Amino acid sequence: MTKNASLATEFCGMKFNTPLVLLSGCVGFGEEYTRVHGFSNRDAGAICLKGTTLDARPGNPAHRVCETPNGMINAIGLQNPGVDYVVNEILPTLDFEETRFIANVSGSTIEEYIEVTRRFDDSPIDAIEINISCPNVKEGGVAFGNDPAMSARVVEACRKVTNKPLITKLSPNQTDIAGNAKGCIEAGTDAFAAINTLMGMAIDIDSRVPIIGNNQGGLSGPAIKPVALLKVHQVYQVCRPHGIPIIGQGGICSAEDALEFIIAGASAVGIGTALFYDPLVCDKINRGIAAYLEQHQLTSIDQLVGTLQLNQR
Amino acid sequence: MSKQHRDTIFLEEAEILSHQHLDGDQHLLRLQAPECAAHAQPGSFVQIQCSAELPLRRPISIMRYSTNEGWVDFLYKALGRGTHLLATRQVGEKLSILGPIGTPFELHAERSRPLLIGGGVGMPPMIAIAESIKGQDNYKPLVILGSEVPFPFSAEPSKILLPNLPSSVIATMPLLDGWQIPCRLASQQGYAGCYQGYVTDLARIWLESLDEAERQKVEIFSCGPHPMLEAVAALAAEFNLPCQVSLEEFMACGVGGCAGCITPVEKEGEVSMKRVCVDGPVFDAVEVFPRSGH
Repeated sequence: MTKNASLATEFCGMKFNTPLVLLSGCVGFGEEYTRVHGFSNRDAGAICLKGTTLDARPGNPAHRVCETPNGMINAIGLQNPGVDYVVNEILPTLDFEETRFIANVSGSTIEEYIEVTRRFDDSPIDAIEINISCPNVKEGGVAFGNDPAMSARVVEACRKVTNKPLITKLSPNQTDIAGNAKGCIEAGTDAFAAINTLMGMAIDIDSRVPIIGNNQGGLSGPAIKPVALLKVHQVYQVCRPHGIPIIGQGGICSAEDALEFIIAGASAVGIGTALFYDPLVCDKINRGIAAYLEQHQLTSIDQLVGTLQLNQR
Repeated sequence: MSKQHRDTIFLEEAEILSHQHLDGDQHLLRLQAPECAAHAQPGSFVQIQCSAELPLRRPISIMRYSTNEGWVDFLYKALGRGTHLLATRQVGEKLSILGPIGTPFELHAERSRPLLIGGGVGMPPMIAIAESIKGQDNYKPLVILGSEVPFPFSAEPSKILLPNLPSSVIATMPLLDGWQIPCRLASQQGYAGCYQGYVTDLARIWLESLDEAERQKVEIFSCGPHPMLEAVAALAAEFNLPCQVSLEEFMACGVGGCAGCITPVEKEGEVSMKRVCVDGPVFDAVEVFPRSGH
């Protein structure tokens, strides 16, 4: 058994070593962080690969990242080599014994989402995340994610071409995230990832030009954690009756952060920006969660999911 | 499947052994970081967490490293918030560093006359290359360092004569003289013994002084501000010499995961975005400055 045996959990029928999911766009195509001595893909329950489109995309010009208070802004612009290259050249190099690999599908049109999903369906990938919330591309992405009817149409279309677990990644940049989630459940999503980044900007006051080449980008890191936590809580209210699980994400840096998301309703938790701060953070979060479970005499995180008790007003 | 990339970068809590603060907001930092020191190569850099307040790491080039003693030296300029906070860190404190990172410079035995051109905080990787070939008689290098703020060392007249260069240009970095590696300094500031002008102008004088056979043994290595690198690339193109340049860019992960630090690279007419952290920071000058004259 692995050292994290007590952390093993099931998500959409997939066996996760731990509830941690490494987030799309932070860990390349699954092998990049293994460069770091002491890092292991086994410390994560699943790894979401970089957002993938039908054809290769070069992404945005520099600068693509900048640090902001308690977080950072990025605008990578879905740089990727296209789905065929990912399926034919990259997936065969991944070790599926180590963890679960989740594809992240993006597109400018519904047809593109369908085609990319179809190609991943015919691959060893464990699950498919539909990215209807990328804030850094001109077409598609968040344009779909912020319109509940469009979100549901994308989910419904992808659902028709795959039986693999389908995870819908929700945008926080919308008025009614719970309403959107409801539509996506009806359209056939198996799970949610909440939340993607919040749109933001940083300005160089000397040149009076935005620091990010794309002018605006997605804010991540501890700064967005309270926002993410509330969104997960809201989405969980919709998911609970249907048994639809959530990957809670947004600024998680510690076991305490992760536990907050689990209590709010997340069955798994996403780690992104925290890896940039500490590449070995997963092991620390796993140990912290395990210690908490032991201290509270719980045998699995499943017993903790959604146990939030609201104050009675 | 090949997993050679695995376990090549180390996370260390590195004690500050010394931290000197010099003119022009330049700082010399020595860290105890045995794993980084053991695996560093000329051109490698590390990602330093400057302060708990700004946890995103800042990429800083390695200047020197001692495998035996386990230390690594850096020269950095306090420019933004991160490096200003780094400058406040005291001897005895520990810094979280991730390294060594990056594809290093590659010397070629048949190019036995490496020309190392460093500008400002682009000097450190040149010093790292120089130290890696010190005492190797098969290489006959020349180092040209440029700065528009006082040099981060006491420049002294060199004991190594270079008859092909103007006789007034005699100042060198004493460390390099000690390694028997010829070096000259350039600046627009009129510093004593330095060439008054650009590093590329001094490099041109040297290249023109060589006969064709000797010139074909030259390979240029460079790091510095972007316009300087562009001028170096153009010089290399003009003399039809191979040239490797080290780039910098804002970074997040530093291990190739986020694609945050990219540069357009042109190869065989195709432009692609390469990650400065792991695909670089060292690139073939022709590929990053394709319109520099080739």
